[in-house]
Amino acid sequence: MSNIKQNAGDEAEFAKPLYTPIKRRSFFMYAGATAGATALLLSGCDDDKDEVVPAGTISLGSGDVGVLNYAYALEQLEAAFYAQVKDTPATDFKTNELAYFTQVAAHEAIHRDFFKAAINRDAPGKIIPSLQASDLNFSSVDFTKRDSVLAAAKTFEDLGVAAYNGAGKYLKTPAYLVIAGQIVSVEARHAAYVRDLISNGSFADDSIIDSMGLDKAMEPVDVIAAAQPFIKVKLDATSVGK
Amino acid sequence: MDFLNLLARLADLDTTPALPAAAPRRAALGRLGQAGTALLPALLTGLSRPAAATPQNTKTRLDALHLALQLELLENEFYSRALGLVAGFSAVPFSATEKTAIQTIQQHEAQHVALFQRLITDSGSSLDPVVRYDFTGSKNGAQPALYPDVQTNPDTFLQVAQLLEDAGVRAYKGQVEFLQSDDYLLEAAVRTHSTEARHASHIRTMRRQRGATVKSWISASDAAITTPGSVPAKVYEGEDNITQYVTIGTSLVQVPFDSTLPINVGTPPLTPTQVLAKVAEAFDEPLNAQTATALLQLFTY
Repeated sequence: MSNIKQNAGDEAEFAKPLYTPIKRRSFFMYAGATAGATALLLSGCDDDKDEVVPAGTISLGSGDVGVLNYAYALEQLEAAFYAQVKDTPATDFKTNELAYFTQVAAHEAIHRDFFKAAINRDAPGKIIPSLQASDLNFSSVDFTKRDSVLAAAKTFEDLGVAAYNGAGKYLKTPAYLVIAGQIVSVEARHAAYVRDLISNGSFADDSIIDSMGLDKAMEPVDVIAAAQPFIKVKLDATSVGK
Repeated sequence: MDFLNLLARLADLDTTPALPAAAPRRAALGRLGQAGTALLPALLTGLSRPAAATPQNTKTRLDALHLALQLELLENEFYSRALGLVAGFSAVPFSATEKTAIQTIQQHEAQHVALFQRLITDSGSSLDPVVRYDFTGSKNGAQPALYPDVQTNPDTFLQVAQLLEDAGVRAYKGQVEFLQSDDYLLEAAVRTHSTEARHASHIRTMRRQRGATVKSWISASDAAITTPGSVPAKVYEGEDNITQYVTIGTSLVQVPFDSTLPINVGTPPLTPTQVLAKVAEAFDEPLNAQTATALLQLFTY
């Protein structure tokens, strides 16, 4: 199944990944129980689980805990970014913007800590190491400049929303799915807020919402690839949700 | 219903390379229709809706789709009237910037209506009868209007818009677990959900720009727009929730944010009460189908 990849976006992408790769995969996972021959036929193609993680790479893990670690990594990145925004505010922030980003920083820190607690309680020993300041790389962001901070915030928020939207289907525990929903809508509210600061009215423009009115969804490996420039340690998302 | 067998058969259908390469969305949806037709008897056993007319707490995927469509139809009509697109209703007097934003939102709602109508009919089900809307909340004069100037006063309109968007965001969250068995439907719902959250955020920003005390996310510091005990107030009931739970085995365990976690980003450090206020903001809460339906009914007759 080498075609299992997607970078959701336009309409065609929406239909395609949903109907072919994902659908097929999940159906065959079920189908394996009753249609052994079919599952057998495909088992040779599915080599994701056996992938060896290179040294120096952090695997996010598999199954639900993989998804939680994936979310935890992204929330750590966002929390660290906004903590920096708060600590070294842009000199040209407009009225109330610092106050708002301080609130967003709190939300992201809470999300980060929530996942840490959830993973430690539900899957002891399976949590990824915390990303330290030295593991992160915000050198592409000029924290003294409002434009640079807003552009980065938009990137992180839109990416976060797309990440949750694409990861929901990998969660098997209903409670986690609901929690992911409780968080993603707050991220989407942040995303819309930041976009409106950059250009009022761009909260849900065509760059992010497709012709079916659907927000973006991205696969874990694509999200991590997009986030990787900001994280020095290499993250491996290939088995998330699998 | 032999669910596993059904899935196996759907998987077989999925690999049938008989469909034209053009128009992938149409093909994909057509395929859903095909699957729906071929497997309808089995599928409907699991999907059929209870005949009772009283609001149900959603149990099936089809119930969830119907609720989503009801929400989207109502929102689409609400914004269409505000833009002067519906005969008999003059446009709400917005500024040019506001009008553009309402147009963006209305277009999304219309797209959501089309999407959910297609998903419902493709699954072999029929659409609910058309309902009539009264956004003043008077049920066409049957009761006192809650929002008498909703069609003429942008502030009132945006209040109701906020109510509907925040409710929509919560309602989708209440439905996802019923769609979990179907990746396609689940992803359609979650992607609609975050679009609605962006709308909610922008409507709140619009209200703030007009002088209202309201954040772009649901916060205890927002000026109340509902009366305690009323149907609209249910939209915000429980949003002050400051506890989240994780599962251990089959039991739910509360995450104690105020004591054990290192959340503290204030200078000077936030008090436990202040931390908990942030926790409430950081999570939107789900709304069950019954409550969502009660709100829909306030605006229909």
